[in-house]
Amino acid sequence: MKRLDMSDRDDRGGGRPEVIALSFPARADLVALARFTAASVGARAGFDVEEIEDLRLAVDELVVSFEAVQAGGTIHLRYTHDAGTVTIECTVEPGLRSHPSEGIAGGELWGGDGELSRQLLDALVDEHGREQRQGRPCVWLRKHRANASA
Amino acid sequence: MSEDNGPLVVVDGEIDLAVAPSLRERLETLLAAGHSTLYLDLLDATFLDSTALGVLVTVREQCQRAGGALHLIVTEPRILKVLEITGLATAFPLHGSRPDLAGTDQGDETTRHE
Repeated sequence: MKRLDMSDRDDRGGGRPEVIALSFPARADLVALARFTAASVGARAGFDVEEIEDLRLAVDELVVSFEAVQAGGTIHLRYTHDAGTVTIECTVEPGLRSHPSEGIAGGELWGGDGELSRQLLDALVDEHGREQRQGRPCVWLRKHRANASA
Repeated sequence: MSEDNGPLVVVDGEIDLAVAPSLRERLETLLAAGHSTLYLDLLDATFLDSTALGVLVTVREQCQRAGGALHLIVTEPRILKVLEITGLATAFPLHGSRPDLAGTDQGDETTRHE
């Protein structure tokens, strides 16, 4: 893990969104860091156990959805929670090697089964999408706490 | 289930991108050894993502082509939920406990991931 930056430690209800940034090398054995952080953010946002488990699986699906992860690349995740809503954005900083899965443990499965991943995200979160940001693909999700005020 | 007895593979913990390749290799090794029916014990598994599901789907198809099946032993609600969301809950024979495995070498077929 390169960085875990809790830029705002206000707890839920504090009025300002809390943002946590996480970056780690694109390695299959480090994807668990994304799940761990999602669980922490979900708990801070007041999610119940079921919602936290949904969020853990959903962020895993975000990270493994990148077909173009390269050895030496870096996964960047940005978690924001605000008034019972968690937003997670994921981008990949390319590595140096030419083959997408070269040198990555589990790399041949990176990109996963897009249809299964989409089905899971559809069921687990309120919104999710993929878009270009600053020339790089970004996948994101948003999940609201069940009892959050609209 | 005795007529369907096949090797049992036990996996526990979180089955994700880091674990799915070794699981696929283990299951495909058993297929290559001539087994067409396999049992995958997920009783102590706590997490299953789409990469692991993809492996199960692939191996299931291989088992079926060989005239057998991939049986899943699972009670964990989180994993059952994943199977249901993806419409795969009816694609595998599901069991709530291990079948009679007399005649199999469970120890040799056990793959653990903490």
